[in-house]
Amino acid sequence: MIDVRDAQKWIQNGARRVDILKGISLTIPAGQFVAIVGASGSGKSTLLGLLAGLDSPSAGEIWLDGIPIHNLAEAQLSSVRGQKIGFVFQSYQLIPTLTALENVLLPFELNADGNGVQKARRLLEEVGLGERTDHYPVQLSGGEQQRVALARAFVVDPPIVMADEPTGNLDSTNGRLVLDLLLGRNKREGTTLVLVTHDAEVASRADRKIVLKDGRVVEDTLPYETGSPMAEQVSNG
Amino acid sequence: MADGGPILRNNRALSWKRAAAIAWRDLKSAPGKFGFVVLSVAVGVAALVGVRGFSESFRKTLSTEARSLIAGDLSARIFHAPTAEDDKKVGTVKRNLPGSRSTWVTETLSMASVPPDPVPVLVALKGVDPAEYPYYGKANLEPDMSLQQALEGDSAVVAEEFLIRLNAQVGQTLRLGGRSFRIAAVLRQEPDRISAGAGMGPRVMISSAALARTGILGPGSRASHRLLLKLPEKLPPAVNSVTVRKQLEETLGDAQVIDYREGNPALTEGLDRATAILSLICLVAMVLGAIGVAMAMHAHLEQRMDMLAILKAVGAGSPDLLRIFLLQTLGLGFAGGVLGVAAGLGVMEALPVVFGKLIPVHITLEFPWRSLLAGMGTGLLTTLLFCLPPLLDVRGIRPVLVLRRLVEQPANGIGGWFARVWKRRLQLGLSVAVVLALGGIAWGLSDSAVIGTSFALGLAGVLLVLLVLAAVMLRAIRFLLNRVRLHLPSFLRQGLANLYRPGNQSAPVLAALGTGVMLILAVYLMQSSLLRELRETASPTLPNVFLIDVQTDEVAGVKAFFQHQAGVTQALDLMPAVTGRFVSLNGKAVAQLKDKHYPRYLLETAELSWSDAPPAGDKITQGKWWTDGGAHEIAMGEGAARRLELGVGSEVEIETATSGVHKLKVAALYKADGEHVGARIPFVLPSGQLKNDVATWYGGVHLDPKQIPAMERAFFLAYPTVTVINIADILTRIETVVDQITVVIRFLAGFSILAGLTILASSIASTRFRRMREAVVLKTLGATRMRIVRTFSVEFSVLGLLAGVVGVVFANLLTQLILHRLKIGYHLEWPAAVVSLIGTAVLATATGWIASYRILGLRPLEVLREE
Repeated sequence: MIDVRDAQKWIQNGARRVDILKGISLTIPAGQFVAIVGASGSGKSTLLGLLAGLDSPSAGEIWLDGIPIHNLAEAQLSSVRGQKIGFVFQSYQLIPTLTALENVLLPFELNADGNGVQKARRLLEEVGLGERTDHYPVQLSGGEQQRVALARAFVVDPPIVMADEPTGNLDSTNGRLVLDLLLGRNKREGTTLVLVTHDAEVASRADRKIVLKDGRVVEDTLPYETGSPMAEQVSNG
Repeated sequence: MADGGPILRNNRALSWKRAAAIAWRDLKSAPGKFGFVVLSVAVGVAALVGVRGFSESFRKTLSTEARSLIAGDLSARIFHAPTAEDDKKVGTVKRNLPGSRSTWVTETLSMASVPPDPVPVLVALKGVDPAEYPYYGKANLEPDMSLQQALEGDSAVVAEEFLIRLNAQVGQTLRLGGRSFRIAAVLRQEPDRISAGAGMGPRVMISSAALARTGILGPGSRASHRLLLKLPEKLPPAVNSVTVRKQLEETLGDAQVIDYREGNPALTEGLDRATAILSLICLVAMVLGAIGVAMAMHAHLEQRMDMLAILKAVGAGSPDLLRIFLLQTLGLGFAGGVLGVAAGLGVMEALPVVFGKLIPVHITLEFPWRSLLAGMGTGLLTTLLFCLPPLLDVRGIRPVLVLRRLVEQPANGIGGWFARVWKRRLQLGLSVAVVLALGGIAWGLSDSAVIGTSFALGLAGVLLVLLVLAAVMLRAIRFLLNRVRLHLPSFLRQGLANLYRPGNQSAPVLAALGTGVMLILAVYLMQSSLLRELRETASPTLPNVFLIDVQTDEVAGVKAFFQHQAGVTQALDLMPAVTGRFVSLNGKAVAQLKDKHYPRYLLETAELSWSDAPPAGDKITQGKWWTDGGAHEIAMGEGAARRLELGVGSEVEIETATSGVHKLKVAALYKADGEHVGARIPFVLPSGQLKNDVATWYGGVHLDPKQIPAMERAFFLAYPTVTVINIADILTRIETVVDQITVVIRFLAGFSILAGLTILASSIASTRFRRMREAVVLKTLGATRMRIVRTFSVEFSVLGLLAGVVGVVFANLLTQLILHRLKIGYHLEWPAAVVSLIGTAVLATATGWIASYRILGLRPLEVLREE
């Protein structure tokens, strides 16, 4: 479970303070698929970064499975990231000097014992890249790179997967494929999935939608909640 | 988490094996860039392994051939002809050592010529008994024969230099002390040459019997006599070389006794000192190399920022990243060390050639395990130390960079500055530790805490000042550029602007390259100032020809000779020398004073002279010279008086062979100028005290240099046993030695330049991608290859020129400082400065292009597509 209590984030650029998140509180139960939506600059990615322990809040608290990650030391935080969270980014963020297999293997090497090669191969097969394990990122298409990133996110079986616009750089076919893989994991393994997106169709498949505007939550609804814009959109569709 | 998932670690440290695998994968991605890192380490290690390996072999040669190097088990040197009494004393020692053997070896300077050419040369003459000498080692002759065969009758063996200088050959006759000798062979190697010290002339060796016949060894002549003692295979019980040595010291009171195990203490001390100095010069190259590695690693980490953020995002902690990059650095350091060791073996092989005749023995080079390990260890340690501060920067990389670029910036102003400094407190603390560790390494290499500390602080200070100077110069150029940029041709404008390309490390590159230039130029400037000083001291008012070993019966003739000699600009100054010995100092018998640290040779073989007025070149510093020739007084050189703890008013007793014991009171102390005959005699008595003693005379005269060869020919014919030393020849010899020493230092300082250039190449290689982009953008906009060449060449050559300026300025400052301490005049050498500036610019441009190869041939699409 993820529990956010009045999380704020600002950055200081010289004398100027830029407020990005202005007090966010929410709770995400285990196994839920949450879509965070909002316009550019609304603070979606910053919130995701805080939830994932990639950054610390300027004020407020963030609890992850009972762990107060807002005041963890760097070493403990990296341990939480490595063992509890799988990450998928919009621009894939694969390491260009490593092959697809090595990229998938990396979190395993950093966080787990034993040999993860078989598991990494199996995951690549699952995402349809069994034949391309030795290819470098530059030799793969965008969709293929994102699927490698998915396999990397799953390799240590994290209880939470966070995705920042995972379909943002992909065509609709590849986008759907990536989303199916993420959702499949969420349904099959009960993995919590927190996903930042612009795409209404992607958001519509979520259990819950959180809308951000100017660093604040302006809407937090289940898609089929009566009267919600999403429910109307779905019933009209 | 799903069942059957991976077993997650509780202790989150990444294993060394995995860290190594990740480090290796990263290394493979940019082998070219890391090539320069390996080279940076290799340069310093090569220099250090070369010097220390050579020194190790030298030491080994000294210990394994210790007996050969003194040609006996023990040697006792005295500075007067051995008397029958001395031989009797030696006989007593030998009686207790059945089966032992001994022989006297005589060494002196003399003049020799090869007819029909009457011009004599100064030679280092040695008389030996070939039936005995050498007890160990072998005199290698060409043609191959035994020394006994070669020195039969009036025959001589000579060094090759003698034949070259006199254009002579084996079989010809040489004239020595009025006698003729057949040159029987060339002396290729003389086992105990090292014990004779640096010779003033080429070696000529004859038998002791023949030497006696030449008449060169008159009473009181300047010759040293070495007793070589060979111990029997089996020594009597309770007897060993230490006890024999003690016995010899007691028996021959004034002798300098050494046994083979201590070899040549002066030489080993000199070797240690030279090794320490040269090692420190190599350490400069090593430090520069390590700085290069640190810069390369810093640039590498900056380029890998995204990758590091991803690694952190997927669970890597800072210690994991540190482990990965530490292993990578150590791996590179190790590879550099291995390459350096291989190159160092080459340097070791080259050093005997570079040292030339400075090394008086043939050194058997061996695989220097200890030096090799020392070089490797020092290389690794230095690399690690210098790389830690930049590696620690990985701690500050925020994983959130994978999501957004906008991160906190500390406030501007003094508060922001303090915040930045505080953030890097660990790195700053580590930098202090690096300087301390450097001091430790320098201490280890020089075997002196003081030198180690001074070196580390000095080098850190110089590098810091050079860095600041380089940064100030770069800012000044930028300031000027901003004012005139639109008036400059575009290639020049762009070339200069490139100095400030993001990621360029211009200031550290300038400092590193400048240090190399500074070292080499400073050595050159010191060498030329020293030689200029030497030449300038040869003024027309000072003697330029010295006469040694003039016998009393020759004095009148020699005086007359120079009265009639053409070209004499300063009259002949002759001074008698009588050998005596101190009996008591201030009422205490010398025998009682032996436990104190008085210089024994000063007491046992006191060089005395007489003069009723201060000799030319001597300046009285205390007391008053006597006016009565019969006074019981003595004047002493300041140095000798200080060592004997005597002053004006002290009382001494001196014994001479003919006139017995003289009771004398110290009347005056004087300081000799070192350029007149009197400088070599520390004790002067009134004429009445010594004139009946047997004296040898020394003379000094100034002649028109053009007249010297004619004078030498005529003088040698008339006085073949008198040694003539032409200062011009000596200066040439000193110049040769100084040249050779500076060649060695410059050779090693050259490694610093190489390290500086490697840093430049490494820095250029680290911005290679940016350069590639610039080149293709220029091409896309229609620039020709020549235009690109000009733009980049401006950047490289200006970097070189600036480094040259930094180096030249500091070389002159350093030289001025050292020369001031040595009380030698300093002159600005414009030609050297200009050559350094142009040379550095050319080298930097060449290096820049070597590191940017293939840029010109790139097709624009090739690069743009990769983005």
